[in-house]
Amino acid sequence: MNPIIEVNNYTKKYGDFTAVDDVSFEVEEGSIFAFLGPNGAGKSTTINTLCTMMEKTSGTLLIDGRDVSTEKDAVREAIGVVFQSQTLDEKMTVNENLKMHCVFYGVPKHEVKERIDFVLNLVDLQEWQHKRVSSLSGGMKRRVEIARALLHYPKVLFLDEPTTGLDPQTRNRMWEYITRLQKEKNITIFLTTHYMDEAEICDHVAIMDNGKIMVDDTPENLKRLYTKDKAIVSVKNPRVFEEALKKENQTYKKEKDTFYIHIDAVQGFLQFIEQFKDELKDLEIKKGTLNDVFLEITGKEIREETAE
Amino acid sequence: MRTITALWLRNIRGFVRDRVKLITSIIIPFFFLYIFKSVFKTDQVEDPTAFLLAGIIVATVFQTSLNIATSTIDDTVSGYMKEILVSPTSRFKVALGQILSAATIASTQGILILIIGFFTGLSFDHWYTVIFVLLTLMLVGLVFSGLGLFLASMVKSSSTFQVVQQAIVLPFTFLSGAYIPLAFLPDALRFIAYFNPMTYTTAFFRTIMLEKGGLTQTEWVELGLAFELNGFVVTPWMSGLIITAFGVLFLFLATNSFIRADFNKISRNPLGGE
Repeated sequence: MNPIIEVNNYTKKYGDFTAVDDVSFEVEEGSIFAFLGPNGAGKSTTINTLCTMMEKTSGTLLIDGRDVSTEKDAVREAIGVVFQSQTLDEKMTVNENLKMHCVFYGVPKHEVKERIDFVLNLVDLQEWQHKRVSSLSGGMKRRVEIARALLHYPKVLFLDEPTTGLDPQTRNRMWEYITRLQKEKNITIFLTTHYMDEAEICDHVAIMDNGKIMVDDTPENLKRLYTKDKAIVSVKNPRVFEEALKKENQTYKKEKDTFYIHIDAVQGFLQFIEQFKDELKDLEIKKGTLNDVFLEITGKEIREETAE
Repeated sequence: MRTITALWLRNIRGFVRDRVKLITSIIIPFFFLYIFKSVFKTDQVEDPTAFLLAGIIVATVFQTSLNIATSTIDDTVSGYMKEILVSPTSRFKVALGQILSAATIASTQGILILIIGFFTGLSFDHWYTVIFVLLTLMLVGLVFSGLGLFLASMVKSSSTFQVVQQAIVLPFTFLSGAYIPLAFLPDALRFIAYFNPMTYTTAFFRTIMLEKGGLTQTEWVELGLAFELNGFVVTPWMSGLIITAFGVLFLFLATNSFIRADFNKISRNPLGGE
């Protein structure tokens, strides 16, 4: 696979403050790449530099082999961007917004109508075409923005927190559109998100903190490397159970009468718990999640708050 | 070219859709006409209504072009400017589109007031005056749309901009002779007025609209259409040249600073962005 985004030793400083500190990574063509990190970690700064909206301090950033600082227009043609905050023209209709986009990107005139139909169909908004943007709901506006970003057939789609502030149903549909795009059009998707469940769907996850990339791997590898499975057990006779745990050298935490036990291998744990079959009141085995990875790496809980 | 026409159309559409703005901008000039007509009675001019109307038209075109050109600030605050700037379209074309649409809206507004003026008794002796009036209105619109965009790309937040705009609009209109003849002003203010591009704009436009092109220098000075500075008389034609020069300067400054402006820096909310 060839990388479509290549970032080498990228640094961005604001005066004395280093927002991004010597970061390098690659994104494979046709993949979904998630950028996670607490607020102020440098995610938006990185996206803004990749989108040619902000100058780097040093390093090289290439998109489809083009330098984002010296070949701005070529990069701009190759990317579609959905910013964190809304960038629609509220006074105009959906159709007018899309038409303007085609003008700015020099989409051939005879293709404009066809492409607008295509992208609106993709996000199920055909009936809303002639409505003013100001009359649309937040979720619809986001869909219009995604549709708009696709009009010029970009190779890379940047989505800066595409689902923040949307209800769960809309979020799900948004993800359907995103994954459909990736599969059908082989578009590379680069996104930032606050939702760990969303990052699970991605092919690759990078976690950023304090301007550095802490890890960069597939969700499966990250979970394997940074988390352990956990069993949550409550029994009729906690004292006996605790003694048995100690004797077996298990790591655990006790809260009231519930035990949180780290499991190295599920097989071994099942054999152990077998002895307490009749004593069990409740048993739950939890797989490690990306949220655990995130906590492990940044030491912070990811919270749903926006920069603005 | 496509970018310029598309932006032009978009801005005009936006203006027409804003009914309140549209209606008030036509009513307010007549409100001014009514007030100043009752305040300012003079024997110097034979037709004070036409004299005032000319000033009001030029002041309206000035204010509207400044207002509309600065809607670039609204586009930045609403986020739409980001969509434009992340595209491969050239910033120069975007700047031109913004300026041309503001100039169009402003001169159209001047024309509307002129048309209503015809119903209240205004008339021209020569048919070609209409053409000269239209051309002058377009020039005025263009000059001050340039100024507007220049200001818009200089400021850092929309709240400072409100202040800047007020600080410019008031002295520019009131110290120009558009509403109040310069002869009525105290010496110090009149001195300031000679540095105001609107002073020359008003004199030039009034000369054209009142068909006073054929007068002698003394008659021009008497009517406030020419200015005597240390024995040198600035004729209305020189005024025309002066505003053209200002226009070239403003357009250059506007496109230049728009191309260089870092729109990331403009805070999008009063509490100061990200």
